[in-house]
Amino acid sequence: MKESGLGNYVEEIKTKFSNKIKKFDYNHNEVHFHIRDPNDIREICGHIHLDMEARLATIIGTDERNNGGGFVIRYVFEKTGEDVFMFVIVSLGNANSFPSIVSCVPAASLYEREIRDMLGLLPVGNPDTRPLVLHEHWPQGVYPLRKEFDIKTKVARKEGQYEFVRVEGDGICEIPVGPVHAGIIEPGHFRFSVLGENIINLETRLFYAHKGVEKLAESMAPEGVVSLAERISGDESVANSTAYCQAVEKLLQVQVPDRAKKIRTVFAELERIYNHIGTLGGMATDAGFAFGAARLNILKERMMRLNETLCGSRILFGVNRIGGVRCEVERENQKLILEKTGETLRDFDRMAAFLKSKASLIDRLRDTGKISKKAARDLGIVGVAARCVGIDVDTRRDHPYASYAIHNGRTPQQAMQDQIEMEKRAGDAMSRFEVRIKEVRDSFDIIKNSLDLESDGLYAEIPEAMEPFKSALGYAESHRGQTLHWVMTGENNSIFRYKVRTASFCNWPIMEFAVSSDIVPDFPLVNKSFDLSYSGNDL
Amino acid sequence: MKEKSQILGNHAETMSEEQLVKFSSTVSPSTTKSYEEMGKELKDRIVKLLGRSLAIREVDAGSCNGCEIEIAALTNSIYDVERFGIHFVSSPRHADLLLVTGPASRNMEAALRRTYDATPGPKIVIAVGACALDGGIFGDTYATTAGIDKVVPVDVYIPGCPPRPELLVQGLLLAVNRLKR
Ligand code: SF4
Repeated sequence: MKESGLGNYVEEIKTKFSNKIKKFDYNHNEVHFHIRDPNDIREICGHIHLDMEARLATIIGTDERNNGGGFVIRYVFEKTGEDVFMFVIVSLGNANSFPSIVSCVPAASLYEREIRDMLGLLPVGNPDTRPLVLHEHWPQGVYPLRKEFDIKTKVARKEGQYEFVRVEGDGICEIPVGPVHAGIIEPGHFRFSVLGENIINLETRLFYAHKGVEKLAESMAPEGVVSLAERISGDESVANSTAYCQAVEKLLQVQVPDRAKKIRTVFAELERIYNHIGTLGGMATDAGFAFGAARLNILKERMMRLNETLCGSRILFGVNRIGGVRCEVERENQKLILEKTGETLRDFDRMAAFLKSKASLIDRLRDTGKISKKAARDLGIVGVAARCVGIDVDTRRDHPYASYAIHNGRTPQQAMQDQIEMEKRAGDAMSRFEVRIKEVRDSFDIIKNSLDLESDGLYAEIPEAMEPFKSALGYAESHRGQTLHWVMTGENNSIFRYKVRTASFCNWPIMEFAVSSDIVPDFPLVNKSFDLSYSGNDL
Repeated sequence: MKEKSQILGNHAETMSEEQLVKFSSTVSPSTTKSYEEMGKELKDRIVKLLGRSLAIREVDAGSCNGCEIEIAALTNSIYDVERFGIHFVSSPRHADLLLVTGPASRNMEAALRRTYDATPGPKIVIAVGACALDGGIFGDTYATTAGIDKVVPVDVYIPGCPPRPELLVQGLLLAVNRLKR
């Protein structure tokens, strides 16, 4: 690993910033650059993002004052197509501000605001000074992720008003929507400024579902956090618990048995299938095509029943554990999976062909909710939303985990074909519709090719004691896109810091761009076509 | 009280994480009635008491969206609760009943209260899922209120993480039966 990708980056950054970097070290596929002075982070991050074309993957703030590290911020970058994560690490000491990098890395804005709310560190230079996670009714000076903050604290409510961006002019009206929506969906607020039916501006306001997941993990046993990870976003339970378990396994240096790896892959793909089918159904509903939605939802239900037979939960809770999986897939269940997925795939194919032949549906999807490649790149979006506009990112391939490495063999010809297909994708709702159809089929293939399970067991024993203050990054590709879980151990087998960044957090900002040439009635369709989680964003 | 609390009714003990994981698979309806039978009974009750249909507004007060998946499943063509006279409406002003999920995150507290106030009386509130009962795995923290009943009065509690669609219908039946009194 060190010889290939990592080494080159280390050389490049070292030669350019040798006097600014205190030291660097490796941790599997992570390379950590420790920076001397916080004032240099903008230059270094800017170089990594703009010149080396690496995507900002996440920013992690920690309170390490009690163990002598001060407040520490870790900027994590990832380069598409290479299994490398670059960490730019800087300690602020006891200072409670740090320079914002928004001017060169636009995607950093939300992370910086999150750090300001949760840790009370001010990003100097970030133009958006409004609260993000802690809404206006939270008093000043409450910083949940600081170590002295007790998780049980009940803070008094205060009155306050959130400043939405105001669009003014003749005939412009505002439409506030949410947080309680019209459908059976999660809470969030959308503020439309409209001229007639046309959307002039959309502002999304989230974090209504903030449940203190990251803080909560610090008070739980590491094994218990697996259940918590599953409940970050119920429909992404396998992806999130896999990412969490992998982070812990990486830092404990545990080798997961091959059988467990394949079982993880199978469940991850089952999760993708039922969710993608559900989203396609939801898009049909929002385009007013009830028949298509009804048929697809039957297929989703079938898959959920299969889930239940396999692991006891319709939404795949309880599959993972640290070191492997809890859930065995016996021979008869392997047969059942083949049989049921085969049946569902047949019906799905027929349905997909039927839907694509319906002009009224296609007409609604085409050119609706269109995003540009440039905006998608600047905002660093991931998953289906990125692939629909031809940005070829997929954690399963870029950072192979579970047993995905075995599915990655592409002949040069296939790679070229894939690339041509990518280039054709327009970034509208239609392309997201098609990407999902393709991915459902791919998932069925992956499952079929993963069922030759090895017989080496379900999980590896994990060491009883964890070394404190070790960290590692775990990752997975949920049906929405990349989910990143960073874990740092504390004393006495505890978790010192658990940072989660789901695909939804990366992708929500694109929504405001996607609707900018649409009319209000298209919004539900556009929203559904991205299929983002509120809970997974709000944590 | 004890038997009831296992399926419906007041959620007495806080569930451990172990239980939480098991809950979704081990909980089974206490009645011997099938889904269809419960649905028929529900339909009769609704016709008798409400005339035509029971209008439900679903409120997500910070759930993980697992409970939403199961509530949404009620409307698919297999469970199809619409045929029992149950209708999900898009405004609390049209609703007879609120189905509330989530540990009531603090950021949703005010919105939940306003939704409750906007629902015309007589109204029923059902807390759906382990979170809605007492905060579930998310517990009682700075960010949660530890249960829907800390924010608005709750009539029926449906445990489970998430509860299966059958259990949701059983909970609706219990709630509608309460309406008479
Ligand atoms: S009860 Fe379980 S499934 Fe329902 S919202 Fe809570 S954690 Fe999610």
